[in-house]
Amino acid sequence: MVLAAVLATAGCGGSGDKAAEKARVRWAFMLPTSWDPVTSRTGADINTVSLAYASLTRLDKDGNVQPALAQSWTYSPDGRTLTFQLRDKLKFTDGTPLDAAAVKAFFERGKTQKDSFLRPEIESIASFDTDGPLRVVFHLSRLDYQLPYVMAGRVGAIASPTAAAKDKAKLALWPVGAGPFKMVEFVPESHAYFVKNPDYWDAANIHVERLELTTLSEPTTTIASLVSGAIDVASIGPKRVEEARARKLTVTTAPSLNASDLMINRNKAPFDDPRVAEAVRYAIDRGELVKTLTAGLGTPTNQPFPPHYFAFDPQTRDKWAYDPARAKALLAQAGHAPGSLTVEIVINPLINEGLPELLQAQLGRVGIKSRLRIVPPGSSSWQSEVYIAKRPATAVDGTVGRESPVQNLLAVYGPQGIMNLSGPYAPPAFLKAIDEVRATPIDAPQYKERLQRATRLGAEQSPSVWLFSTPFIVATRSRVKHLNIVPSQIRWEGVTVE
Amino acid sequence: MIRQLLRYPSARAALVILAIVAILAVFGPFIAPHDPLAQDGSALLQPPGTRYWLGTDALGRDVFSRLLAGSTVSVLASLLSVSIGLVLGVVPGLLSVFLGRRFEWINLRVIDALMMLPFLVFAIAMTAMLGNGLVQAMFAVGILITPAFFRVTRAAALSIANAEYIEAARLMGASTSAILRRHVVAKVLPPVAVAAASMTGACLSIVASLTFLGIGVVPPDPTWGGLLATDLANLYDRPFGPVAPALLIVATVWALNALADALRDSGRKETAA
Repeated sequence: MVLAAVLATAGCGGSGDKAAEKARVRWAFMLPTSWDPVTSRTGADINTVSLAYASLTRLDKDGNVQPALAQSWTYSPDGRTLTFQLRDKLKFTDGTPLDAAAVKAFFERGKTQKDSFLRPEIESIASFDTDGPLRVVFHLSRLDYQLPYVMAGRVGAIASPTAAAKDKAKLALWPVGAGPFKMVEFVPESHAYFVKNPDYWDAANIHVERLELTTLSEPTTTIASLVSGAIDVASIGPKRVEEARARKLTVTTAPSLNASDLMINRNKAPFDDPRVAEAVRYAIDRGELVKTLTAGLGTPTNQPFPPHYFAFDPQTRDKWAYDPARAKALLAQAGHAPGSLTVEIVINPLINEGLPELLQAQLGRVGIKSRLRIVPPGSSSWQSEVYIAKRPATAVDGTVGRESPVQNLLAVYGPQGIMNLSGPYAPPAFLKAIDEVRATPIDAPQYKERLQRATRLGAEQSPSVWLFSTPFIVATRSRVKHLNIVPSQIRWEGVTVE
Repeated sequence: MIRQLLRYPSARAALVILAIVAILAVFGPFIAPHDPLAQDGSALLQPPGTRYWLGTDALGRDVFSRLLAGSTVSVLASLLSVSIGLVLGVVPGLLSVFLGRRFEWINLRVIDALMMLPFLVFAIAMTAMLGNGLVQAMFAVGILITPAFFRVTRAAALSIANAEYIEAARLMGASTSAILRRHVVAKVLPPVAVAAASMTGACLSIVASLTFLGIGVVPPDPTWGGLLATDLANLYDRPFGPVAPALLIVATVWALNALADALRDSGRKETAA
């Protein structure tokens, strides 16, 4: 009788539940370091944070900035004031109106909250103001024409001021935004489930009714999980593309801003001697890395950008080509006989499969011995050891890019950049060049040249060695169509489920 | 006892396998046909052939050479864990029977606590605290297998603690230390030996599991578990890749278990006789 009652109840789910079940997508990806955009720390977080939050602007597939929560923005003639015009009738998932006051409150929290990771990103904004209920005014302390781009990422992902006032710490675990989805379940280190937010400003383009985000499965089992239907969407490595296609999965590749690097810390011996860092640059055979690790899908790069991106500096393209003889000569000049120098390379076992061992072998060819040290699994260990404490002399890492090229350059070379292992050191000439780029409107003729110069100075004056870039590679079950991948993130507008 | 043991066909087969494994562990790195760390960019993920007998991995390294070179670490790591477990388990196991109730109570609570620890989580936590190395990981494993040795030892010691000859020795004025050395250790050793053989097999599997997860071993050093993980990652390109390391692990674990069973059975027969 009880069984009958359960079955009857189950049968009463109605067509709505069935539709939701059909439009359910299970996505395997990394969970963010925090669900609060103010305390989120890494570039990759935007992929998941943007499920619950909408940003003031967003990027299109070509990386151009487009309206989002803000339907337009204007700089004052002197460039010292930036005004965003918000859409009307926006609201957060907790019912709080998303208006100019809410946006102002969010950025003020970003400026003042003790554990804010937003502060360096918005340091060019001196104060925030409202001009009516739908106009937010940023008063800038210096010219910064990058802000509309910056606002397309987690920096512009506005959180509910009501939720923040109630319990700031809870926001890190339970997002309250105005994004395409609303969280309904979260188990840290395991999964986060979402349902569609009907109040999202672009809800008409969200066709996924329920999105189940699970932690990234072990790479060897990702394909099997997709084939079995345990997950519907997952990023895969370049070497698994052939297998995925052979097993009837849809593989989508799209240009990305991903780039791998060997981070070098100039504050630690032996890299306090610039000749040693320079030797490492010449010791790396990027062609071999691309051939061995990326199945031909990668592209060598010696900068934090892939060659197709407009911030890539063509003048530096051929610099630091593989030259083991030169590497050996530089080491000899620095007083290191072959085999006399040993360095420790810190690695994350969950990413960069095979890359550390290849780098180790290449360094060995020029007489640099190296031992690999694994930072145990768990994102917090890598965060605290590498990004915050900056303890290693070298570490294998990479960037997923940022919405603004300046933001990306600062993340890898800037004084507070999480991927600048030499931080807080940053090359002064680079910082000056960055200021010039910020002060240049993006439609100005000299913008691209100035941006590329900043890239050049960063690459030349920072010891880190950039290796190669890989595209976004996403495998999906055939029921998921029209993936929406912009250069720095995976988005869900327009994605359909059959 | 050895003669008794050799009467069992499974024990003879186990000893042959273990002899081979011992040879691999001692001489493996020296008889490897290639440098186990050398990468050949022109021969990535090659199938078995005349140049590379078991093929190559994703970085062009000779799998056969890596298997041989990995034997030493895999076997030594298991032996290290068992040694730690033996020291930490057998001594308190014996003393808990003969050193009074308070000592017994403390020991039992500590062992209860150890038994509650989740295996992999504890090993991961230990490597996070002490650094990710094989010694640290095996130390963690050694601590976790301590209860097995403690319980076996204690059970064996309890069975003779009240025997008449022990009582007689006490009445004659023998010290606890003398009683343990002269009368107890010899009786406790056979079941401990069985447990040690069995736990060595278990530790070999644990070493394989931990290195499979990237815990304990540091690349590019090869281990059987690490090779298994690498081969599974390239299953599409080398479907037979995992067979060799898996076979070695399975055969060794089976041999150790078979030896433990034979030891136990022969011990029973000796007691019955």
